[in-house]
Amino acid sequence: MEGAGHGRGAGPSPMAGEQRQPQRQPGSCQVCPEQPADGPQQGLFSSLQTGNQSCQLMLLKTLETNPYVKLLLDAMKHSGCAINKERHFSCEDCNGNVSGGFDASSSQIVLCQNNIRNQAHMNRVVTHELIHAFDHCRAHVNWFTSVRHLACSEVRAANLSGDCSLVNEIFRLHFGLKRHHQTCVRDRAILSILAVRNISREMAEKAVDEVFESCFNDHEPFGRIPHSQTYARYAHRDFQNRDRYYSNI
Amino acid sequence: MADSGSWRPPRPCETYHAEWKLCRSARHFLHHYYVHGERPACEQWLRDLASCRDWEERRSAEAQRSLCESERARVQAARKHTLVWALRQSPPADWHLPVPQEKDK
Repeated sequence: MEGAGHGRGAGPSPMAGEQRQPQRQPGSCQVCPEQPADGPQQGLFSSLQTGNQSCQLMLLKTLETNPYVKLLLDAMKHSGCAINKERHFSCEDCNGNVSGGFDASSSQIVLCQNNIRNQAHMNRVVTHELIHAFDHCRAHVNWFTSVRHLACSEVRAANLSGDCSLVNEIFRLHFGLKRHHQTCVRDRAILSILAVRNISREMAEKAVDEVFESCFNDHEPFGRIPHSQTYARYAHRDFQNRDRYYSNI
Repeated sequence: MADSGSWRPPRPCETYHAEWKLCRSARHFLHHYYVHGERPACEQWLRDLASCRDWEERRSAEAQRSLCESERARVQAARKHTLVWALRQSPPADWHLPVPQEKDK
């Protein structure tokens, strides 16, 4: 998750007890899909910072056009958690390289406007956080007391948001093909947990490994791993068709 | 399953065709291999497409049975893993409430 309980009373975080700050501290948000890149890549993009207005505009475009997000919004509405852009999203400056986070205690997604590079990045961050929000909406997720629950949502977000696409991994200089997606999902989930829980790497790995098979294969609300926007559009089509589907099988 | 008088294929036939085409594409082969380490199996989509068209043309009972069986198997496969968490009966009570006051300080 890119921010389950980022510092708002969310366990052993340096931000616990502190309220919304002009600058978010490292660890106050969950680790984002984009870990700090290696030197050259970071240098290339460090100047492409995004102000509040750009963040708002990119967010609006994502909400209106991105098929991953449109499906998630529909699914959440169907589950009783309709999203209101002003209520459930907040563009803020964050310290460190955090891209965003989901705060379960306030039911809000924080977007780190100074770290979101471009529209494609915004699309992916919003998708990632909405998966956490969707899990929060449909299930009793003990974000702060269960590492297994946190691990499960992180596995799902890394798996379904495009974080671990072949192209993104290549950009991170992680080369692999056969079943590499699963390796990426596992690794990113572990990193996300370690960013917000003061536990050993061994404990984080154990939690991820325990829940991996179940959570990697939980593709709700997509019904499949959406490898691209085409898959997301097909998934949205299926979601809209679900009444016909279930009444005829 | 709806009674045979009102039954229709769970998906439009065009959807079965689109899924089969996507499954057979080179891009999907690459995605599937990247995730699962093996080639995708696409034959069932083609069988379902044939059943769907058969039902549309002849209202074949066998086609109806075959489609239902195929889709139930897909649903079963998607649900075979026990969930890590308990599902809610209703959404979180505070979802629509204003952002808590202390967060705005």
